[in-house]
Amino acid sequence: MNTKPKVIIIGAGFTGCALAYDLTLRGCEVIVLERGDIANGTSGRTHGLLHSGGRYCVSDQEAASECIQENILLRKISKQCIEFNGGLFIAMDESDMAYSEHFASGAEKCGIPIERLSKEQIIKLEPNITPEVIFGYSIPDGSFDPLRLAMGFAASAVVHHAQFFTYHEVVGFVINGTAKLSAVEVINRHSGEKQVFECDLCINATGAWAGKVSEMAGITVPVLPTPGVMVSYGQRVTQRVINRLCKPDDGDIIIPQRRMSVIGTTSFEVENADYIPIEKEQVEKMNQRAAKLVPLLKNVPTRGVYMSARPLIGGSSSGRSLSRTFKCYDHKESDGFEGFVTITGGKATTCRVMAEKTADLVCKKLGVSAKCETQERVLADYHEYYPFN
Amino acid sequence: MSEPKWLVDFQILRQHPGDKPHFKIYPLEVDPEENVLDAIERIWAKKDRTLTFRHACHHSTCGVCGMRVNGVEKLTCITAIKSVTKNGGIVRVEPLRNFTVLSDLVVDMGPFFRHMGETRFNSVAPVGYASLPFEPDPTNSIPLERLVDCIECGLCISACPAATTNAEYSGPAALAAIQLMLTQNFSPDLMALADHDNGAWRCHSAFECSEVCPSNVDPAWRIMNLRRRVVAHRFKSLFKFPKQEKQHA
Amino acid sequence: MHNTPQSNKWPLWFDPRHRKMGSWAFILNRITAIGLTVYLCMHLIVLSKLAMGPEAYDSFIALAKKPAVIIGEMFVIAGAIIHGLNGIRITITSFGFGVRYQKPIFIGLMVIAGAAIFLFGYKIFSEL
Repeated sequence: MNTKPKVIIIGAGFTGCALAYDLTLRGCEVIVLERGDIANGTSGRTHGLLHSGGRYCVSDQEAASECIQENILLRKISKQCIEFNGGLFIAMDESDMAYSEHFASGAEKCGIPIERLSKEQIIKLEPNITPEVIFGYSIPDGSFDPLRLAMGFAASAVVHHAQFFTYHEVVGFVINGTAKLSAVEVINRHSGEKQVFECDLCINATGAWAGKVSEMAGITVPVLPTPGVMVSYGQRVTQRVINRLCKPDDGDIIIPQRRMSVIGTTSFEVENADYIPIEKEQVEKMNQRAAKLVPLLKNVPTRGVYMSARPLIGGSSSGRSLSRTFKCYDHKESDGFEGFVTITGGKATTCRVMAEKTADLVCKKLGVSAKCETQERVLADYHEYYPFN
Repeated sequence: MSEPKWLVDFQILRQHPGDKPHFKIYPLEVDPEENVLDAIERIWAKKDRTLTFRHACHHSTCGVCGMRVNGVEKLTCITAIKSVTKNGGIVRVEPLRNFTVLSDLVVDMGPFFRHMGETRFNSVAPVGYASLPFEPDPTNSIPLERLVDCIECGLCISACPAATTNAEYSGPAALAAIQLMLTQNFSPDLMALADHDNGAWRCHSAFECSEVCPSNVDPAWRIMNLRRRVVAHRFKSLFKFPKQEKQHA
Repeated sequence: MHNTPQSNKWPLWFDPRHRKMGSWAFILNRITAIGLTVYLCMHLIVLSKLAMGPEAYDSFIALAKKPAVIIGEMFVIAGAIIHGLNGIRITITSFGFGVRYQKPIFIGLMVIAGAAIFLFGYKIFSEL
């Protein structure tokens, strides 16, 4: 039997698009179902930080090592959507100075190349930075365009014959007699028609909505949508990413992107990620934090204000950790339900390796022996997501 | 202490295959500082799940939320409600013009992205090149890069009268992309892409593209600058030099 | 963009709602162009009367002195001045000069056009 295994991926965010690409390269027939458009969930609203791992090199070194490796890789395979000008971690008070030693040794352990810079050097590089800076480190941070990163993976998948069905909302699953998921029921939101897509395996890659989707199969996945606010200002006040040299906190990072500077973020839980109202006190907090790092921002008008819902995994979950940074649930193991896998968590910078590890698991289940090839090839031009006919 | 809410009628053009396009009215309580996209998202989440619209980044970098608001092309994620109406007023929302509508506010961006892809423009460029030439380069000539201004939102095509009647016109965005590439590298293929009847010569100077561009691309300026380069190139080609050196127009 | 030809959408060219000054100039240029073309046809017809002998020509001259025709001629003059001056603006900008100033240039030229039309009108009506 020479037919390719048919895989359905629900969700066209970073996870879904990267996974579609990886699986098509390994010889699967892939269909992606998305109720909205590419990256219209959490992925689209990331502030766009291409992590160097500096933010985690003290508290979570496994995550940090993974970040710097993927940072270097993405810079090779996805130049088309990345601004790579490096970043700075700046110390502004005694507590930052104390933290700096842990930071330096943590960065070294994780393989993140840093260089200590004096106050004068920093101000020369970034004249708009706060005069309260004492010293700092340069690190290989970057920023990226969220949509075009997802589109790059999606285009690469389409080039290898994956099919993306946007505006197709999953409304149910068809489960056959032996508790195996055999098909997915979908409504085409343009025409209102119902369609059924058959599959050998279905992957729930809906991030903050993973719980809602798996509910349709009668399975509980403890995903907590955990939004935070982002504020984008209408002026590119720094050319590099500016981080506060401290434990990860709210509003301690400013990211340049096109002609804007973006600050984030906060963290609180909600039930439903479909619509999260903007909390003005959080916006005010971001404005104050931004002005602390770059005083000029006090006078720069805000351009966009929005909430982005991270998918955080609830405590008592039975999912296997393929990595500390994201969770994969093989529902055969956790719920006796064959043909269904949920993948959630993670950050944008590590989407490719998340897809690699998930694809490893999926291919093992499907009996596909091909290895991952996504680290070697440059992504397709994102315009090719729309086929040139 | 929050601002008092406004009551605004959102008239959204609804159309699905087989339907006649019609306006549906959604009265909504809004914070005047909110953006139009926030209101549309709330209408979808709380009032009408059949509404289709496009959104991703919510901060004017992805370019997908372009719509016509009270007849004018806007990027709805950065368009405050108070800038388009008043308390008790109306916000009329329609999809972009000159694109095929898939349903409601979602249009087919395929042919547009094909035109953009054909130019093979560098989406990331040195900061000095990414900005308009009459803007100062803040990088002191250190090679720093940034994503270029054009977010491929399509507002310029919606506002362009030439694009209204001509489906083959490259469009302001693609021509602006060609001009941007030519400022970095000369290429006869790029010239050929611009120098034809449906390229730089199809523009008839309405200048609406630059009026609606939310991202400082100034496509009208770029199209005219492109014409200058094309004419200069044609003129130089009249004199065939034995060694074709790299030309900087 | 559309996948199909849309030439039947040409009336939208003349719709100034929600558009800015560049579109006003665009619309004005087209209306004056149509007007001048119609005038050109009429003018050729008139000239053909020259070939039909003195009575045909004299009866035309009598018609031409009627106020309605004179007002019509004012429109032609206005159309020609507006079209010509705006045409200069379009020529300059099409060569890549002054694009950033296309709005003040348009206003300036239309002020000149207004003055010129007024002067012409004054001359014509004062010699009646």
